[in-house]
Amino acid sequence: MLALDRVSKTYPNGVEALARFSAEIRQGEIIAIIGGSGCGKSTLLRAIAGLDRASSGTVTLDSEAIASPHAKIGIIFQEPRLLPWLSVADNIGFGIAELPAAERRDKVARALARVGLADKAQAWPRELSGGQAQRVAIARALVPQPEVLLLDEPFSALDAFTRRDLQDHLLDLWADTRPTLILVTHDVDEAVVLADRVLVMRPRPGRLFDQIEINLTRPRDRNSPLFENFKRSVLTSLDRSLDRNVPDRDATQGPGQAMWW
Amino acid sequence: MISDAPVLQQSSEPAESAGAASRLSRHARPVLGLLLPVILALGWELVVWSGWSNGRLVPPPSRVFATIADLARSGELLRHIAATLWRVGLGFAFGVVAGTVLGAISGYWSLARRLLDPTVQALRAIPSLAWVPLFILWLGIFETSKIALIAVGVFFPVYLGVMGAILSVDRKIVEVGRTFRLSGFAMIRRILLPAVLPAYVVSLRVGLGLGWMFVVAAELIGASEGLGYLLLDGQQLGKPAQILAAIVIFAILGKLTDWLIEVAAAPFLRWQDAFGRAKGA
Repeated sequence: MLALDRVSKTYPNGVEALARFSAEIRQGEIIAIIGGSGCGKSTLLRAIAGLDRASSGTVTLDSEAIASPHAKIGIIFQEPRLLPWLSVADNIGFGIAELPAAERRDKVARALARVGLADKAQAWPRELSGGQAQRVAIARALVPQPEVLLLDEPFSALDAFTRRDLQDHLLDLWADTRPTLILVTHDVDEAVVLADRVLVMRPRPGRLFDQIEINLTRPRDRNSPLFENFKRSVLTSLDRSLDRNVPDRDATQGPGQAMWW
Repeated sequence: MISDAPVLQQSSEPAESAGAASRLSRHARPVLGLLLPVILALGWELVVWSGWSNGRLVPPPSRVFATIADLARSGELLRHIAATLWRVGLGFAFGVVAGTVLGAISGYWSLARRLLDPTVQALRAIPSLAWVPLFILWLGIFETSKIALIAVGVFFPVYLGVMGAILSVDRKIVEVGRTFRLSGFAMIRRILLPAVLPAYVVSLRVGLGLGWMFVVAAELIGASEGLGYLLLDGQQLGKPAQILAAIVIFAILGKLTDWLIEVAAAPFLRWQDAFGRAKGA
């Protein structure tokens, strides 16, 4: 269980990026975080990753406080961020360098096959397409078998077709070990396709506005009326989150979630 | 795999003919660069041969090469080359070590940079030849002062190159290292070192170029052997062919040593996705 308790972040320049964000995320759950720009989505993700420290509040994973990058928490960025001087295979094995060579090779080979890039093992990152590079990044993050995988708008730079393909692929990979996924996205469609629960944030300062449970079985049919319904309710919530006249909800569940004002 | 084979074969045929064309142009490219100097040399040779000029101040290529051959036969050429190479090599080694170490320290620790860099930049502003009298007073007129001068010339581009390269390493890539919890040393070895390598190689090449420049200065000031001495000797005894011979050998050695660095670094830089690579330059 990943617990976020009143996580706040104020940057040195005084900008309040995140205000008292609380949520509890079950092991294996898929969470989508959605919201207008400047609502602190990425700030939140970086706090969970331990890349930035929260100004106040705590992030705990299985009762262990997270203040710096943790072995059980992986992250995938918007850009693949592959190391250009390593082959595709070495990039995937980057996070498991401490394992014996044979075991490492084995894991890398399996991961390569799993993301459909077995023939690219010895390629340089520059030789990959954007979608392939992001698949390598996903494999690199998954190979150490994290319990929590954070994704910061991972597919936003890809074309629509590749994006769909990778969304399905991500679910497929998730089913292997069922890590907790926390996905920051701009894309309502993506949120509803992937998530068990969508957290809607509102900006200035970034805070939780609404949560929507997506009670749809997988695989989800993007064209079903139910899917459309969920999309509409996320969109409505998003619209309301950007409307200054709508007060913050106090109906959100979980300890310490409400009463932020 | 098997079903792929005929497709592969099919596509390889036009690729092969394209490969032949590029192979041709690959051989043609260096030849293209030789065209201008060869035409000029032959032209001058012709002018002197036909009596339009006596070629006393600007000797024709044949006379320059004859001078080189004479020097080589007497064994003197080798002695001069060895002396110069030794000075450049030693000065380059000292300059590179000092530049790399101090550049790395300044690049990595901001406190060290604040302490160290202003002084280094101030020293850099001094024309390096201004050190000559001081070095001679301190270190004598023999090898030490020459090598020190060369090392100073090599030091600054290497120092700047290393520091700049470290400071400009992509934060996003460093963050990848952080998410995998690399320790300070592992971060240096697995992220910073490979990331700075391309810029480092460039700074080594610039440094070596300056090393060759400063060896001439050092040998002009006072030496009894070395290619710079050949230059001076040629001037004092009025032997332009000998001066040109030394210049030609400087050019060859400079190009050769630069090429050595390039070749030695190439296997480590194959990953680069750069403009120069795309052009096949």
